[in-house]
Amino acid sequence: MGAVLEPYIYEGGIHKHSLILELLEDLGGYLVQKTPASTEVTLVMLIPKKDVHLVEDLCKKLLGKLTSAPLTGTEVAVVSPTLASHHLPHSACDIAEYIRRGGANTNMIGLARGMGRRVALSADYERRLINEHDVAVFSFGTFKDCIINKKPKLFEGIEIPIVVTGGPDIRTEEISGADIYVGGIGRVAHRMRKGHELDAMDVMNEKVGEIVNLKRENIAKDPLAVLPARLMKEVQEQVPDILNVLTPAPITLQLDGMRIKLPYDRYHEAVGNIVFDEGFLLSDVANILPSKMKDYILVKIKRRSEVANI
Amino acid sequence: MEPLEIFTVETTEPSEAASYESILKDIISELAFSRTIGRIKVRIRPEDSLFMMVILLRRGLPPIKAGEISDTEFDREHAKVVITVRDEKTIPQFLDRLWEEFGRQNVMQPQRNIIEVASDIETVDKFIAELIVDDPEKTIRERLADMAIRATPEGFRIRYHSLDSGKFVFVASEDTMQQDWIDEANVMLKELEGDDS
Repeated sequence: MGAVLEPYIYEGGIHKHSLILELLEDLGGYLVQKTPASTEVTLVMLIPKKDVHLVEDLCKKLLGKLTSAPLTGTEVAVVSPTLASHHLPHSACDIAEYIRRGGANTNMIGLARGMGRRVALSADYERRLINEHDVAVFSFGTFKDCIINKKPKLFEGIEIPIVVTGGPDIRTEEISGADIYVGGIGRVAHRMRKGHELDAMDVMNEKVGEIVNLKRENIAKDPLAVLPARLMKEVQEQVPDILNVLTPAPITLQLDGMRIKLPYDRYHEAVGNIVFDEGFLLSDVANILPSKMKDYILVKIKRRSEVANI
Repeated sequence: MEPLEIFTVETTEPSEAASYESILKDIISELAFSRTIGRIKVRIRPEDSLFMMVILLRRGLPPIKAGEISDTEFDREHAKVVITVRDEKTIPQFLDRLWEEFGRQNVMQPQRNIIEVASDIETVDKFIAELIVDDPEKTIRERLADMAIRATPEGFRIRYHSLDSGKFVFVASEDTMQQDWIDEANVMLKELEGDDS
């Protein structure tokens, strides 16, 4: 298997940033996402561990900033009980923004009927959509009673790790179904930028990072047949239509697969027929499924133990 | 009554009151309400799905009558009435009402603060004397409802409200409304009024 890859984010001027991309390719790293914004560019990359200093030196020369991004290659669902003004834009969008700074891709999911106490519930479709992600972050409100007694019914049927954010200080064990609870991020009607609010968000990123690491360790015990980052490169080369997709992350990496933002009906065969140097096809080593998000393609890569004969 | 001279939030868990107070303050400042509200008291019992809010408004501004902010004179040569408006802010509403009454083709605005109406002076004067061009109380009532809905915890869709001479009582829940709650809110209002009642 290849070298150990470390996730990093580069933020800097767009001028000469292609030098970084060339160096990355020479080193055998992967570009996960590139976001140009007028004269600035943000690159999310996976760099071989032993060569990080080379990229660091180049970034310094280009007067850009290279920071470690532990959540790179994960897709996080930020779930709020509804899309009403009680949750959006603050605090749910602030939470999503902060998680993105860690390198993750986030999707905001507002439940149709998640509001209130007695009446809160989630639909089967919503649960399946959330389960397509690596981690779900539920953003709740100010009241301890609601978070402990009423809201956990929204976790029913969620199989991925659940991070809960809310206002009061509560121990994680008190909330049934939650993997981690982060306090100090309750309902607010202003942008979260005060010291204690940002501290709470830092804690949240740390906790989400811990959960992601646990999941990574779990995967490392029985590794994936193909690295998602490598598969991403193959998709770009062998299904070139993906280069014409205009969404910010046409291929969204997950810990054990990816979401390819092409219509399932027209492209799932082309994706399944991607050939690897070793001679096998993608359909041999992965499940290619229709995603619950629009008509996209969801690829879940099988473990080595499942495809031992390849 | 000073603006926001009493601002109380009571919750079952005392530590949660401060964060709800911050939400209310944000909403009040967003809707530019801080000078309108004199006293406000909120009581929240999440275990009963209950939200109660009572507000005492400060004395509002009286409605603005068109006759008080404009002068009229008759232009004999062109057979039209010339209205000079002194309060610019009200001109859009003023024009709207004149268009409704006299028709668009008969009302012109050659300059920013001058409106010409092709009619006789008695008719125009009579119309203007009774015309209310701006009612700050009415806009406050609309914004107050907006504020109450924003401040309520989400999902509390069963609501009771009353506004009577600057006293606003609001109760919201997700369960059937109970008379006890409304009575309790009225007691809160009495407490808030204190010596002034």
